[in-house]
Amino acid sequence: MRTAPATPANGPSIALPLAFVLTGLAALCAGVVWLVLQPGLLSTYHYNQDVIAVTHLFVLGWICTIIMGAMYQLVPVALETHLYSNKLGCAQFVFHLVGVAGMVWAFRARKMAALAHYASVFAFGVILFVYNMARTLRRTPRWNITASAVAASLFWISMAVTAGLSIAAAKCDYDPALALAPPAWIAAILRGLQSFGVYVAHFGAIRTMHAHAHLGGAGFFIMLIVGVSYKLVPMFTLSEVQSRARAVGSIILLNIGLAGSFLAILRHSPLESPFACVIVAALALYGWELAAILRARKRRALDWGVKYFLTAVALLLPVSALSLVLCWSGLPQNTFTGQLENLYGFLALIGVVTFAILGMLYKIVPFLVWFGQYSRLIGRVPVPSLPDLYSARLQSLGYRAFLIGLAATSEGILLSNETGVRIGCGFLALAVSTMALNVAGMLSHFFKPALPPAFKTSTPLKTA
Amino acid sequence: MTANNISPEAVLQTLRQVIDPELGCNIVDLGLVYNVSITGQKVAVTMTLTTQGCPMHDSIRWGAQNVLLTIPGVEEAEIKVVWDPPWTPALMTEFGRSVTGAEKF
Repeated sequence: MRTAPATPANGPSIALPLAFVLTGLAALCAGVVWLVLQPGLLSTYHYNQDVIAVTHLFVLGWICTIIMGAMYQLVPVALETHLYSNKLGCAQFVFHLVGVAGMVWAFRARKMAALAHYASVFAFGVILFVYNMARTLRRTPRWNITASAVAASLFWISMAVTAGLSIAAAKCDYDPALALAPPAWIAAILRGLQSFGVYVAHFGAIRTMHAHAHLGGAGFFIMLIVGVSYKLVPMFTLSEVQSRARAVGSIILLNIGLAGSFLAILRHSPLESPFACVIVAALALYGWELAAILRARKRRALDWGVKYFLTAVALLLPVSALSLVLCWSGLPQNTFTGQLENLYGFLALIGVVTFAILGMLYKIVPFLVWFGQYSRLIGRVPVPSLPDLYSARLQSLGYRAFLIGLAATSEGILLSNETGVRIGCGFLALAVSTMALNVAGMLSHFFKPALPPAFKTSTPLKTA
Repeated sequence: MTANNISPEAVLQTLRQVIDPELGCNIVDLGLVYNVSITGQKVAVTMTLTTQGCPMHDSIRWGAQNVLLTIPGVEEAEIKVVWDPPWTPALMTEFGRSVTGAEKF
């Protein structure tokens, strides 16, 4: 006698990705409410602690959390392998939760010593994550474009975290600790960090922060969006990659552009623009290939999840244009330029990455719920399909509200108009609410499954 | 139905109870079932999935096995998942195309 499988074919338990997804959604809800209450964070250009705190809430609390949880589920599936260790994933979740919550609090409360401690906790979680994913990648039976992109993204997130810790190291004061006459080996570490901090500080705080953001945003998030697209978009639209050369070329160019522009940003080099052009060329190749995949698709009607994702990809156009403008050396440094930087960050993180993630969540969450609740019943009783688990009307409302929110907030940022930003973020909050309602509806299947009455009280199933 | 009158048609009809939850269509009309062979009380089905590395792989395979065991007279059900020949949307029936929104070939 064999029982039905309890976990996805190549994935971890559903609890791990769901824990990340729900935590990420909570951070997103908190983030949009924060922006509604404090629209000045976007309508004016200041690198104050609140701006950095809310940015890290979105980047680490929402985006990183969701992407990491999704990777625990998607990477084994996409690469036809098994996750190296579910336990390491669970341990990382604890470090991640404590680290991110602590970092956001420490930024807001201006507790720099506590910030360094929480950042170290977060970084330790990232080390566990990268190790787990790297060992998972080593198991993949067939190395493909998606595997290359995932490997590259792991390298870039490691670099981004290292850069972030370096910034923290440059801001720390080591003299009080050295005055306590610690053991020689601790003193040596402290002096090493002090010297490293002095070295990092000579690049300038703003440029180091830009380089750090660039590594995380383009290196980790965009690299994954591009790489995972080549597997998931054909899967969901019944199509296939049309030109492997184009797909590979986009990943190679993206890596070259990222490495070059990181150094160029850090050193304030005139090569900043040429390397930005390399990244834009990579994204153009990606867009070209994605359009070809979609033209060849056999499933003509696109579901809302795919529409969210493709709209997010289309928003790479204005983001790319803004990046080219912002790295032009002749750009005057005035208030409007500052607002353009705000718009760039907003459109990249909320327009592209958040919209893409919301679309993919409409694939990931239904699958996790369906697998947890219905997979063992397939073939024994009529079970709902994935689209039956959520409301397409809420998806449609969320899509429209998100686009209106993006447009209104962008206008508010450009015009330095607090009311415009508040209204725009209100629409974004409405869009996030539709997602939250749909997720709550999906989770309700764990407590109230959509099954014929006779099966709701059935004993555990066995198969021959 | 006894062991002697299990027909391939009855097997296919039963397999229509197994849906691909992503596409919302049963595996027969999706064209995923390549071959059915019946030997005495044993039914062996050769099938594929829409994508290699499909996350529903185990669920669909086990679902197909479960449902075959509900056919009177079937004592053993074997499901073999193959990737060659690969599945293409051209294998779908008219019903499958209408359910999934796939275009005609």
